[in-house]
Amino acid sequence: MTERVAIVAGGASGLGEAVAHGLAERGDHVLVADIDGEGARRVAKAIGERAQAHEVDIRVDADVERLVEAAGAAGGLHSLVLSAAVETRASVVDCTDDDWQRVIDTNLKGPFLCMRRAIPLMVRSGGGGVVALGSVLGSIVAPQYAAYCASKTALVNLCKQAAIEHAPDGVRVNVVSPSACEAGLFMQVTAMAPDPDAVRRMVAGNTPMKRLGTAADVVNAVVFLTSEQSSYISGAVIPLDGGMAARRS
Amino acid sequence: MPVATDRLLDGRAALITGAASGQGRAASVLFAEQGASICVADINDEGSKETVAMVEAVGGKAVAVHADVSDADDVGAMVDACVDAFGRLDVLYNNAAVQMSGRLVDCTEDQWDVTIGTNLTAVFRTCRAAIPRMLAGDGGSIISTASVLGLIGSEGYAAYGAAKAGLVALTRQIAVEFGPTVRANVIAPGSIDTPRFRKVASEMPDPQGFLDGLAATIPLHRLGQADDVAGIALFLASDLSSYTSGAVIPADGGLAAYR
Repeated sequence: MTERVAIVAGGASGLGEAVAHGLAERGDHVLVADIDGEGARRVAKAIGERAQAHEVDIRVDADVERLVEAAGAAGGLHSLVLSAAVETRASVVDCTDDDWQRVIDTNLKGPFLCMRRAIPLMVRSGGGGVVALGSVLGSIVAPQYAAYCASKTALVNLCKQAAIEHAPDGVRVNVVSPSACEAGLFMQVTAMAPDPDAVRRMVAGNTPMKRLGTAADVVNAVVFLTSEQSSYISGAVIPLDGGMAARRS
Repeated sequence: MPVATDRLLDGRAALITGAASGQGRAASVLFAEQGASICVADINDEGSKETVAMVEAVGGKAVAVHADVSDADDVGAMVDACVDAFGRLDVLYNNAAVQMSGRLVDCTEDQWDVTIGTNLTAVFRTCRAAIPRMLAGDGGSIISTASVLGLIGSEGYAAYGAAKAGLVALTRQIAVEFGPTVRANVIAPGSIDTPRFRKVASEMPDPQGFLDGLAATIPLHRLGQADDVAGIALFLASDLSSYTSGAVIPADGGLAAYR
């Protein structure tokens, strides 16, 4: 049997980096794709022979095309993890056109372009699993995150559509929806606060489980959703939020 | 000299995009009957002129402004035109939209960009321009037309569904950020019997069979009419809904009850 192949878009850092390691440990051949090519090479090198690095701007179709062709050359495609994301802190009236476009293009159009190229290859490879990293902010409102919330909510809808459209093809599409994690964007953003630890303690305290999410929480969910254990799950949004979703209707 | 003061939108000014036909036109006339002055914004100048004439025929005031909402300059000019004409902006009704169907793997990058640009980014820009005017005035109400396709997964509406889902999120953001003075709500129409919908139906193998079959699945056993949606828009524009913000109101003949 040939090795299973996975693409991790946004795999050079944060949650994507952890997912790339997790999938490689499972035995996948992992294409670590990131706009930060140096970071992608660093992660691929750390993983070893099961990984290859690709400098890819997922907003650019030609880049995505090259990435998916590389997967085909590596033996097909069975898992696609969409982890690349950016955020901007701005209210609706203060958000610039550039910031809006950067967030919508990276967090929404990028996954569209990736799925459009990758799903046909997954179908030819006998089916597979797509997992997009959404956010708890894709289901609730957070003031000052106008573009980010819109992008993540739209991403959920896009994934549900892809799930329905390709359910008969053996391609499943799901979303994991982390709240603040001890890795990734949350740590970068809170690092800019006057007292980062205080902010992180406060956020953890507001979570029913009284802790932040971990990269391992996300890796475990992605491994599950790209394995046979989840073979009847598609179009789902799995919260990774320490119970926060339970507070909502 | 006593004047009628029992109309719902007396003294208010409303900017309605996509007002040259369909739901935007129906809302223009209904809002005018309730006392609002209307800024009719559309890419279709002929249709806008007709809408202005229909508003005037019910005794209302209206101006037409040529606006392609996907053009950032037009968006600013359209908001300015409303304030220039009527001295205020109380109601913004984001009704203009493009509808493109297509499965995700068949959606071209151009179709994606046009759909996200017109149905999501344009609304963001319009709200960004309009909210400061509302804050400077007596507050306001923003109404945006989303779609049932923005609330559920479906087949064949990749960019459209995503854009409408994003619009719901954007509306909730506005509701929270500007809560004390600006309300923002979404109407989520199901199948509305407009010229565009009729055109889609006419391309089916059995148009009447398609329409009858569709109606049978709707609890109210009929398609929606533009006036059905306009009634909801009037509620959201007026003080009748003064404690409603961030809401998604279905205009779908009861379909949402199934979910």
